[in-house]
Amino acid sequence: MFAAVAVFFTSCSDDDDQGIVDNLPLGAYDNGVLILNQGNFGQDNSSISYLSNDFATFQNNAFLAVNPTKVLGNTGQDVGFYNDLAFVVLNASNKIEILNRYSLEYVATIDSGLDNPRFIAFANGKGYVTNWGDGGVTTDDYVATLNLTNYTVSGTIPVIEGPERIVENNGKLYVAHQGGYGYGNTISVISSTSNTVSNTITVGDVPNSLQVKDGSLYVICGGKAAWTMDETLGKLVKINLATESVTSSIDFAVGNHASNLYISDNTIFYTQDSDVFKMSLTASSLPITSLFSTVGQGVYGVYSFAVENNKIYVGDAADYNSNGKVYIYTTTGTLENEYTVGVTPAGFYFN
Amino acid sequence: MFKKLALFFALTACSLIWAQQDSIFQLREVVLTDSQLKNFSDTQNTTKLNDSVIQKNQASLTSLLRYNSVIYFKENGNGMVSSPSFRGTTAQQTAVIWNGININSQLNGQTDFNTLTTRDFNSITVRAGGGSVIYGSGAVGGTIHLNNDVSFREQFKNKLQLNYGSFSTFGANYTLDVATDKISVNASISHNQSENDYEYIGFDKKNENGQYENKSFSSHIGYRINRNNEIKFFSYLFDGSRNFSGTIASPSKSNYLDFNTRNLLEWTNYSGLFTSKTKVAYLTEEYKYFENKALENFTTGSANTFIAKYDLLYNWTSKIKVNSIIDYTQNSGSGSSLSTNKREIGSFSLLFKHQVNDKLSYEASLRKEITSNYKSPFLYSLGGNLQLVNWYAIKFSGSKNFRIPTFNDLYWQGSGNLNLKPESALQAEFGQVFTYKKATLTTTAFYSKITDMLRWLPNASGLWQPINTDEVSIYGIEALFHWERHFRNASIQIDGTYAYTVSENDATNKQLIYVPFHKATSSVAFRYEKTTFTFQNLFNGAVFTSSDNAYKLKEYFVSNVSLDYKIGNKKPLILGFQILNLENKPYQNVLSRPMPGRNYMMNLTFNF
Repeated sequence: MFAAVAVFFTSCSDDDDQGIVDNLPLGAYDNGVLILNQGNFGQDNSSISYLSNDFATFQNNAFLAVNPTKVLGNTGQDVGFYNDLAFVVLNASNKIEILNRYSLEYVATIDSGLDNPRFIAFANGKGYVTNWGDGGVTTDDYVATLNLTNYTVSGTIPVIEGPERIVENNGKLYVAHQGGYGYGNTISVISSTSNTVSNTITVGDVPNSLQVKDGSLYVICGGKAAWTMDETLGKLVKINLATESVTSSIDFAVGNHASNLYISDNTIFYTQDSDVFKMSLTASSLPITSLFSTVGQGVYGVYSFAVENNKIYVGDAADYNSNGKVYIYTTTGTLENEYTVGVTPAGFYFN
Repeated sequence: MFKKLALFFALTACSLIWAQQDSIFQLREVVLTDSQLKNFSDTQNTTKLNDSVIQKNQASLTSLLRYNSVIYFKENGNGMVSSPSFRGTTAQQTAVIWNGININSQLNGQTDFNTLTTRDFNSITVRAGGGSVIYGSGAVGGTIHLNNDVSFREQFKNKLQLNYGSFSTFGANYTLDVATDKISVNASISHNQSENDYEYIGFDKKNENGQYENKSFSSHIGYRINRNNEIKFFSYLFDGSRNFSGTIASPSKSNYLDFNTRNLLEWTNYSGLFTSKTKVAYLTEEYKYFENKALENFTTGSANTFIAKYDLLYNWTSKIKVNSIIDYTQNSGSGSSLSTNKREIGSFSLLFKHQVNDKLSYEASLRKEITSNYKSPFLYSLGGNLQLVNWYAIKFSGSKNFRIPTFNDLYWQGSGNLNLKPESALQAEFGQVFTYKKATLTTTAFYSKITDMLRWLPNASGLWQPINTDEVSIYGIEALFHWERHFRNASIQIDGTYAYTVSENDATNKQLIYVPFHKATSSVAFRYEKTTFTFQNLFNGAVFTSSDNAYKLKEYFVSNVSLDYKIGNKKPLILGFQILNLENKPYQNVLSRPMPGRNYMMNLTFNF
């Protein structure tokens, strides 16, 4: 037996010698995507699925398989990578589970100083986590700063209502105020040296997704939906990060409320209800027709979305109670693979 | 006390006899105001839990019915929100009837069974199967009847019950019964509280935010004006505060307040072959939810219901009863996420019963509602009861029942859907009653087809809205068993229930979530002189927690034992001791919400 294992390892290192060094797996869950399944609010059924980049390996409940005595938690919201670590933000559990991003082995838990944590980013050797505070209170929202040495919340930066997604660029953090239980319309700029809000940029209503590309921040604002009785237009906003000013803003048509901005190469992808759209980074108008629709797969509103390695990843929450689905398409919209994942697939994180 | 206990379930299989005792020509000493429960329930199963059963069980309606009926409860941790599934139906498809009045919430359509204190009622009857013709919306799986008896039997009685147990659980109830042949006054006041900080067995955690406290006040007053006229007034007030428990992996800091009042005034007139009841009722419900109990911020909802009812019973012959009911109901509701709205419903019901002879009776009834809010179906029921031989009887019935959209479904800001139809259910059942000496076994096979099920689903842009969607097929079998035997200074009594329930979504052929295939209860009571030993068991089969049936909660088997000792005869003092969850079994009845392990309770009952 031991001899067989030895032979196996030997042959592995032979592969290394043949020049695959840069792709040497750092753990069982490297070279693939971690899929965070949110689970149901109040049910402690968040889970992580893994799909390798070559689609040869797929595993549900990967966290539990590695850490059989642990409960990941309630309402997984986001995963952030920092060095070898994955920070899993669990909204209803008010905690962050820190794992090795490649092996998924448990490292530590941060369970104090967080209140309705949402999304995470890293800058200047610190973690930044958006927090809603109490849902019914509009004045207690903040961004928590994390000490990444002892895994504690080291401070808080008060921000306005409803901080949601957060991205980092050049030591600054950009927080989209989607609005929590209300409707926001700004981006807060946080300096990671002073840990204060240094600027506020007004965008459209309900900024729901954002990404930095070549010194510009692209933001999709969904606009207020019709049922709010105060419907507003969706917008695709481009911000020059050097001047922190809006350089272009394109309105969506009335009734079109887009989300899931994802920039891959020089192409912007986004979704609207069950349809996927694609446009050039430099285009000055929105595409008239969709790239493809996921309706054929029975997807009723794209819940999570990513574009990596020339593949489009679509997460379908189904009825939010059953196991969800992940569909993989080519960048032209041909369905290639589908997988049954955990309950409510909420995000894709590529290792 | 044990004599009363001996009545336990006696009516289960003997409703024939019960109905025959009814005669309006003599002055009745004890009057049940829910007269349809008595007059028009022969073709279905009714199980009456009287005050001695109520006393022996824990004070919440959840706990009483969980251990003494086929009804399955989904309880969000001990003492938290609790909803029933009766014969495979949803929480909104079981109606709770307080003295003949449907008290399900107008806001969410269901009753939280932890917001009713059993000690405030003289008896609680479980009526299985459809009852919408009589009791209206939600009487699909069955109805739970909370009854206060107005007694014109000369008496002056006081009763004080105290209990104290694990997790600093304390309960008290004081009941006063005063009556002459002219006037009857009953008042009951209850208080229950608990730290409820039990350990989650197998996890290094406690139930941290589970404290609850509630007070209730119940009274009923009867006045006999003359031989032909009686006035009755019923009142029930419940004021509860609960912190909502978290789960194994998430803390909670929330608090929830319930404040409900129910008042009913009734005038009964006996005039020849006619008995008329004119009723006016006013119900209020209000909740407040604090996401963080340390803060002042809360969300709230409230609803008020006014009911006027005219109920005329005509004893056509000694064998034929005809009952017509005209009902006008006005609901109004408002809340933080509800626009203020009002709705009016008028209904007419006609019930007919023919006791052909000692062996055979049949019932037929119909109901039609008029309202501008939704398209109301024509409801009906038809059933028969036949005593074939002295040890064997059959019962059969079929009915159409419904559940109307709630205020939340219709008027929730941004999501409410004004185009909803009521859920409707077509049902049939066949029961057999076997009697041998003092043993009875009742088995009932049931089938029901529910259409236009109301569900909240997200639309393509992620907005959750209620729609009429699924069709559900339900079938199964229920069995109820009762046996008792009396010796010179001892007695023994055995009761059991079992239900097998399939409740499938027609589109997917999957079992509905939180509906167990199997549920069984048993209770064995043995008395020797003044000491009674009771052993209670509950088996709850596995339930699915996701609609694709990919996840399930495993089955559990829990036992309770109790020992009661009676001092004195006429106005006895009763000392009791109970061990609940005797074997310290870890179990969850809602995912991630563990229930208490072994715990203890002491009881003291004074009669004076």
